[in-house]
Amino acid sequence: MSTESGATGVKRRDFLKILGVTSAATAVTGCNTDHVRKLIPYVSNPDNTVPGVSNYFASTCRECATSCGILVETRDGRALKIEGNPNAELNRGALCAKGQSALQGLYNPDRFRQPMARKNGQLTAVTWDEALQTLATKLGEVRSKGQASNAVFINQHEIGSFPAVLDNWLRDYGMPAHLSYDADAPASAIAANKAAYGVAWPTLDFDAASLIVSFGADFLDGWGPSVPLQLAWADARGKVEGAPRAIYIGARRSLTGLNADSWIACRPGSELAIIQFLRGSKPVADAAAAADVSVATLEGLKKEIAEAKRSLLLAGGNGVDSTQVATEVAEYNKSLGNVGITIKPASPLGIYERLDVSAAVFNAADRMNAGSVPVLFVRGANPVHTLPKSVKFAEGLAKVAFKVSFTNVPDETTELADLVLPDHHSLESWGDAEPTANTLHLQQPAMEPVFNTRATADVLIAVAKMDTALASKYTMTDYRSWLVSRFPGGQAAQMLALPKGVASASSLRAAGRAAGDLGRKPAAAFAGAGDFHLVINASPTLGTGAGANKPWLVELPDPVSKIAWQSWVEMHPMACKKLGVTRGDLVTIETSAGKVTLPVYNYLGIRPDTIAVSLGLGHKSQSNRKFDADGDRKVPFYSGYGRYAEGVGINAVDLVSGDTDALSGAIAYTSMKAKVTRTGENIDLITTEGSARQHSRGIGQASTLAALVAARTKKEASHGATEGAATTQHDANAAEGGHELGPKEWGGNEHAFVGGAPTEFLPGLKSPVANDAQGDLGTQDSKDKGMYSEKHWSGMAKRRWAMTVDLSRCTGCSACVTACYSENNIPTVGATWQGRALSPTVWDTRPGANILKGREMAWIRLERYFEGAEDSENVFDPGFDTRFVPMMCQHCGNAPCEPVCPVYATYHSPDGLNVQVYNRCVGTRYCSNNCPYKVRYYNWFGYGEPGRRQYAFPEPMQMQLNPDVTVRGKGVMEKCTFCVQRIREAETRADLEQRPLQADEFTTACAQACPSKAITFGDAADPTWTVAKQVEDERAYHVFEVLNTYTAVVYLKKINHTVEA
Amino acid sequence: MATTAKPVQGKIKRPNIPSAGIQVPAVSTFEQVDNEILATLKPSSKWFMGLGLAIAAMLVGASAWTYQIYWGLGNAGYVPPVMWGVYIITFVFWVGIGHAGTLISAILYLFRAGFRTTIYRASEAMTVFAVMTAGLFPIIHIGRPWKFFWLIPYPNWRLLFPQFKSPLLWDVFAISTYLTISTTFLYLGLIPDFAVMRDKETNPIRKRIFAMLSLGWKNTDREWRHFAKMYMFLAAFSTPLVLSVHSVVSFDFAMALTPGWHTTIFPPYFVGGAIFSGFAMVWTILIPIRKWWNLEHYVTLNHLDATAKVVLFTSIMVGSGYLSEFFIAWYGGNAAEQEYFWNRVFGQWWWAGWILLLCNMIFPLSLFSQKLRRNPTWLWILSIIINIGMWYERFVIVVPSLSHEFEPWQWTNYSPSWIDMCFLVGSFGWFFMWFLLFIKQMPVIAIAEVKEIVPPKMLNDHGGHH
Repeated sequence: MSTESGATGVKRRDFLKILGVTSAATAVTGCNTDHVRKLIPYVSNPDNTVPGVSNYFASTCRECATSCGILVETRDGRALKIEGNPNAELNRGALCAKGQSALQGLYNPDRFRQPMARKNGQLTAVTWDEALQTLATKLGEVRSKGQASNAVFINQHEIGSFPAVLDNWLRDYGMPAHLSYDADAPASAIAANKAAYGVAWPTLDFDAASLIVSFGADFLDGWGPSVPLQLAWADARGKVEGAPRAIYIGARRSLTGLNADSWIACRPGSELAIIQFLRGSKPVADAAAAADVSVATLEGLKKEIAEAKRSLLLAGGNGVDSTQVATEVAEYNKSLGNVGITIKPASPLGIYERLDVSAAVFNAADRMNAGSVPVLFVRGANPVHTLPKSVKFAEGLAKVAFKVSFTNVPDETTELADLVLPDHHSLESWGDAEPTANTLHLQQPAMEPVFNTRATADVLIAVAKMDTALASKYTMTDYRSWLVSRFPGGQAAQMLALPKGVASASSLRAAGRAAGDLGRKPAAAFAGAGDFHLVINASPTLGTGAGANKPWLVELPDPVSKIAWQSWVEMHPMACKKLGVTRGDLVTIETSAGKVTLPVYNYLGIRPDTIAVSLGLGHKSQSNRKFDADGDRKVPFYSGYGRYAEGVGINAVDLVSGDTDALSGAIAYTSMKAKVTRTGENIDLITTEGSARQHSRGIGQASTLAALVAARTKKEASHGATEGAATTQHDANAAEGGHELGPKEWGGNEHAFVGGAPTEFLPGLKSPVANDAQGDLGTQDSKDKGMYSEKHWSGMAKRRWAMTVDLSRCTGCSACVTACYSENNIPTVGATWQGRALSPTVWDTRPGANILKGREMAWIRLERYFEGAEDSENVFDPGFDTRFVPMMCQHCGNAPCEPVCPVYATYHSPDGLNVQVYNRCVGTRYCSNNCPYKVRYYNWFGYGEPGRRQYAFPEPMQMQLNPDVTVRGKGVMEKCTFCVQRIREAETRADLEQRPLQADEFTTACAQACPSKAITFGDAADPTWTVAKQVEDERAYHVFEVLNTYTAVVYLKKINHTVEA
Repeated sequence: MATTAKPVQGKIKRPNIPSAGIQVPAVSTFEQVDNEILATLKPSSKWFMGLGLAIAAMLVGASAWTYQIYWGLGNAGYVPPVMWGVYIITFVFWVGIGHAGTLISAILYLFRAGFRTTIYRASEAMTVFAVMTAGLFPIIHIGRPWKFFWLIPYPNWRLLFPQFKSPLLWDVFAISTYLTISTTFLYLGLIPDFAVMRDKETNPIRKRIFAMLSLGWKNTDREWRHFAKMYMFLAAFSTPLVLSVHSVVSFDFAMALTPGWHTTIFPPYFVGGAIFSGFAMVWTILIPIRKWWNLEHYVTLNHLDATAKVVLFTSIMVGSGYLSEFFIAWYGGNAAEQEYFWNRVFGQWWWAGWILLLCNMIFPLSLFSQKLRRNPTWLWILSIIINIGMWYERFVIVVPSLSHEFEPWQWTNYSPSWIDMCFLVGSFGWFFMWFLLFIKQMPVIAIAEVKEIVPPKMLNDHGGHH
C-alpha cells in the first residue's frame, strides 16, 4: 500500500479526478487543493469499497509508546476517525485524546510535503532520488573518514521491531545504537521498577487493591501507559462497593490528585521523608516537619496502609530524589506483600523497553558541542524544544556537520537539519509493537500517503541498497515485506491477523544501549533561590509538546485548569493574596535557568508555597508567507511548529535548570525554586470555566458508600411500610443528608411546580415521549396514526435513546471531547486567524481569542466543579472534593429548546432525540437561551466555509471530515445529536440484514472512546440494553430535575471513599 | 372633530388645569393655524444638516449590516450563553418607544384627554418609525437573515410551517399587526390635513399628490361623520394592541425558563415601561420641535405638564415592577432566581442595575415638583435620562439573566462590540431620517384637530358686538 508514490507516480485521489473529468491534463502530482465540485461514482469499485460505507483498518497507535490497538475508520480512501481496537486487550476499545488526534498529525497542513535539503542556508524541496543520493553520499563520507562510531541517532521512543531494525542498520554502518528518547517518560518509576522488580513496567492491578497511595504518580495525567492505567483505575473505582480508596501525596493536586479521595499536600521533595517514616526509618515528627503536614495525617496514613486489606503504592515524581523515593516505595510494596497481587512484574508492559534516559542525550549534546559528532539523525523527537537550555543541544547541533531529520512535521530540531526525509505518518506506515509479552499489535497503513513522504524504515533499506557493501544484506523489497517475512506463518497468517490487529507473536528485540552514562549533573538539593517551589508538570493532553500543532489538543481545555491556547502558572489563592495578584495577572517567574512571564491561575489544589507550570507549549512558530516563483507552496507556510502553535504559550523547559535525578539520569522538573514578581499587567485567561463552584445546584452529585447503603436500607424499609409506594429520588437524596442534594436545596420545593410533576424515580425515561411534532395542535387521530404512536410501523416511538454517565468512573480526562470533535466535524475556533474583528479591518489575532468570548464548539464539555475549601484565600484546605461532569445535550423528553424555535429547526423525534435541523435553522438562538444546560453552540463565523479566514479545516484537514455529518454553515445552531448518524446507520444495517437491532450493538463516539468506560449509550426502553439497567441504578439522578425537563442523560453519583467508609 | 374639548371660555386661571380642558389661548384663528403649522414644512439648512446627519448614521448601520451578513455574527459582543445582546435590547427599546404614540392617539382619544390634541401627530409618526426601526432588529439579530421569511406562515410545497408555540412567532404577528394599524391610523388622521395642504399648495404636481392622499376630501358634514366613526373605530381597535404588543414582546422573555425572565409580571411591567419610555421619546422629539419651529403656543407648558404626570405615573408603575421582582425572588425561594437578582444590584451587573434604578425610578420622582414639570429644559434632559434608563432596563433583563443561568459552569460576562454600537447608532439614524423626512412632508401637529379647539372667528366677532 505505502510503496512508491514519488514525484512521477499518480496518486489514487488524483486518479479519481482523472476518472471524473476524463482529462489527462489534470494528472498533476502532489496533493491538490482544488475542491472537487462534481461527485462522480467509480466506474468499477476498488476492492472492498462500497461508497458511503466505512472500511476499518486495525492498526497500532504511535502517539505514545504504549502502542494501543486502534481501528481507523476510512471512507473512500480517507481516514476519518481513530477508535480503540476492542480486540486489543491492552486498551479494550478505548483511546485517549492524544491517540485520536493522530489524525490531525496525518492531515496536518504544515507537514512536510516532500523531502527538503538545505541549499544556500534554506530548506528547499528536493526529489526523493536526490535526497537519498545525498544521504548515501554523506554516509559513505562519514564511514570513509572513520567517524561513524561518533554518529548520533535520536529516535522518539517507540516499541516494536523498528528500534531493533534501526540498531541493526546503524551497526551495519558502524554507528552506535540509537538513543531512544522520550521526554514524557516517568524515568524515576522505570528506574525503580527495574531495580526492584526487574522489569521496566509491571502491570498495576488497581482492581485488586483496597487502598491506592500515589506519591506523585500521575497515572491519570499521562504517567505510564495512560489508557491501560485509566481503564484499570475506572474498573476498580466503578465497582462502588469494594472500590479502593485513593490517597494522593504531592505538592500539586494533578488530575490524578483531583480524582483521589484525599490529598496529603506535602512540600515538594519531602516524599522521601514520608516514605521513610512509613517504612519506620524516620521519626514521625521529622517527616511531618519536612513535609509540612500534621503528625496526625502521617499517622493516619500509616494506619490506613497497615489496615488496608491490599494496597498499591505508586511513586512518580520528577524530582532529584524521585528514583530513591520510588525505590523505597517499591521496597515497601514488597514488604506489604503487594507484589504479585496489585503489582504484577510477571506480566510486564512493553511501553518502556529500551528507553534511554535523558542523561544519555545530555552526553550526546556534550559530544556534539565538542565537535566530535559528524552526523546526527533525529526522528520524531524534538530535543531542541524539550531539553533544558543548559544542555546546549541547539548549540551542539550547529557544530554537527550534517544533520538529518526523519520527522514529518517541522519542529525546532528539524528546522536546523540539513536534510529532511519526512517519514510517513503512522497511519500511512507498516509496523508492529509488542505492548505486552507475546502480544503483537500490528500496524498497517489506513490510507495512501497524503504527501510525498516515505517510511523511514524503507528509506534505511533503500539507502543500504545503494551501498555496495550492504546491498547483499538488504535484499528485502521494503520494510513491509521484511515484517511479513518474519511473521509466524508468513504472509497468509499475517493477512488473517491484520483485520484483527492483534497477533500472538513477538517483535524483534533491540539489545539496547549499555548503561553507564547516567547522571551528567546530578544534584541533591533544590536549585535556585526564591520564595516558591516550582513544579513543572507535563500536560495531560499536550505531553511535553508533541500536541501543540494539533488544534483538537490545543483547544481541549486542560483537565485541571480548564485553560486552552495558553500557558499559565498555578498559584494558591493564599499565595495570590500575599503577592497581591489575582486571576490573569501577569507574573514573572525566574529560576536559575531562565525567566518567563505568565498569567496567574488561582488554583485550590496547590500548596501556597508552590507554583506549577505545564509543559507542552511555547513552540517557535512564525508565519512565512513566501511563495515560490511558480506560486506553488514549496516552502512551509509556517516555520517552527506550524500554524496552530503560533504564539501559543511559553516553553516551561526554559525554567528547568537541567539538574538530574542522580539515580535515573532523568531531568528534575520539580526540584527548583522560583522567584515570582508581579508585573502589574493583567491579561484574559483563556478558560472555558465559568464558575468553579456548582452553587449547590446538584450538577455533579456525590455520595459516600455509607450514605448509599443507608438510603438503600431506608428505601427498602419505606417500601415495606407503604406497601410498594413509590419512593422518590428526592427521598433517597434526603436520606443521605448530604449538603448538595439537589432540588430542595436550591430550587425550593418541587411540589410547588404547577402541573404536579411526577416524582417517580427517573420519570423522564419511563414517560412516553412528551409530545409529537404537532404538539397540542394535532388531532387525536393523527396522534394515534403518526410516527409518535407506538403503533406506527416504524416502531420509532418504542425506543428511547438514553445515556448514563458514571461519575465514579469519569476521571475528567476529556478523551470524549476529542472523540466528539472527530466524529461530528466540530470546528476548532481558537487559531490566530479565527478571531473576531476588533474594528472593520483589525482582527483579534490572539490565540484562543474566540474562546475568550466563550465560543468554543465542544458539543460535550467536561465541567470541573470544586466542593469545599471555600475560604481558600485565607486558609489552605486540601480537603476539597472535585466533581467532573461531562455535559452534553440532555435530549430532554420535555425540552425547553423545542417550543421556542419559531421555525421548527429543533424538534423531538419519536425515538426520544432532540433533533436539530441545520438547514431549517435561521439562528434566532432562542433555543440556547432556554436551555438550562447551556449545551447549544452557535456558528458565529463561517468555520466550515473554505476561503474564509475563520475556516477551521485548512487543506488537507478537510479530508478528515466525516461525510455522515453536515459541516455547519454560519448562523446556525448545533449541539450533541447522540451521534444520530450512528443510530441511523445501525438501524439501517439491521434492516438490511433483516434482523432487529441488537442490544449494545453500537454506541456514540464519546462512549466508544472513553478510557474510563464511564459513558453508556443505548435504548432505555428496551431492557436488554445495558443503559436500561444503568438508569435504574441507585446512584442515578437527572441534572436539574426540578425543571421537569425529563432528560435522557442520567448521571450516576460519584462515590467518595472516606476513611470511615 | 376628534376631541370633545370645548372652545376656550375666558382666561385660564391656574396652570394645573385638568388635562381634558387644555387649550391653546395664543392661537386665535384658523388662518393662523394653517399658516403656522404649514410653515414647519419649509425646508431649512438646519433641517438638511439634521437629515444628512441622520442618513450618515443610518449608513453606519447599513454598512455594519452588510459586513455582518458577510462575516457572521461573530464580530458582535455575544459571549455564549449570552446569545441575545444589543440587537434584542435595541429591538425591545424601539418597540417600547412605539407605544406612546398609539397610547396618545388612541387611548387618550377614547378617554377624551384634551392634552393629546397638539402632540398626538408627532407621537403617532414616532410610533410608526419606531416600530419600523424595531422590526429590523429581529432580522439583524438572526444568524441567517436571508431566511427570515421562514417565520411567516406561508403555504409551501414542503409543508413546513412555523412553530406556533414560539413567542418569536407571536412577535412576528404582533409587530406586523401593530405596524399596519398604527400606519393606517396615522394616515386616517392625516386625511383632512392633506386636504388643507392640497388647498394651500401651488405646485401642481404636489397639489395632485396631496389631492390623491386626501382622497378628495371636501370637508362635508357627511365626510366628517364617517371620518369620526372610522377614527373612533380604529382607536378602539388599536387600544388593545397597545397592551398586547408589548405583552407579546415580554413573552419572549416570560415564556422562557431563564431565571429573571420566567415571571408573570412581565406583560404589565413591559407595557408600563413602554409607555414610560414612549412619552420620554415624545419629549425628546417634541420639545426641540416646539422651540425651533415656534410652536410653543401649540404645545404649551400645560401639555408638557400633563405628559409629565403620565411619565411620573408610569415611572412609579415600572418602579413597583422592579421592586416586586425583588420581592418575588426573595419570597419565591428559588436560589437561581435569588442569585440573579442579587447579581443585578450588588454583583457582576451592579452598575447596569443602578443605572436602571436611578434613571427610571429616582430621577423621574423630580416630576412631583410642578416647577420641574413645567420646565422644558429639565423635561428634555430627563427624557434623555429615561431613554438611557429604559435601554438599560432591557439590557438588565437580557444580559444578566443569560450570563448567570442555571448552569454555573457557563456563567460569563458580556460587553457590546463596535459593531453592536454601529447598529445602535444606525437605528437612531434610520429613525430620525424617517422622522425628519416626515416633518417636512406632513404637518407635525394635527391642523384639523387644533382648529376644533380654536374658537371660530365668527363667534368671537359676534361676541364682541353683542
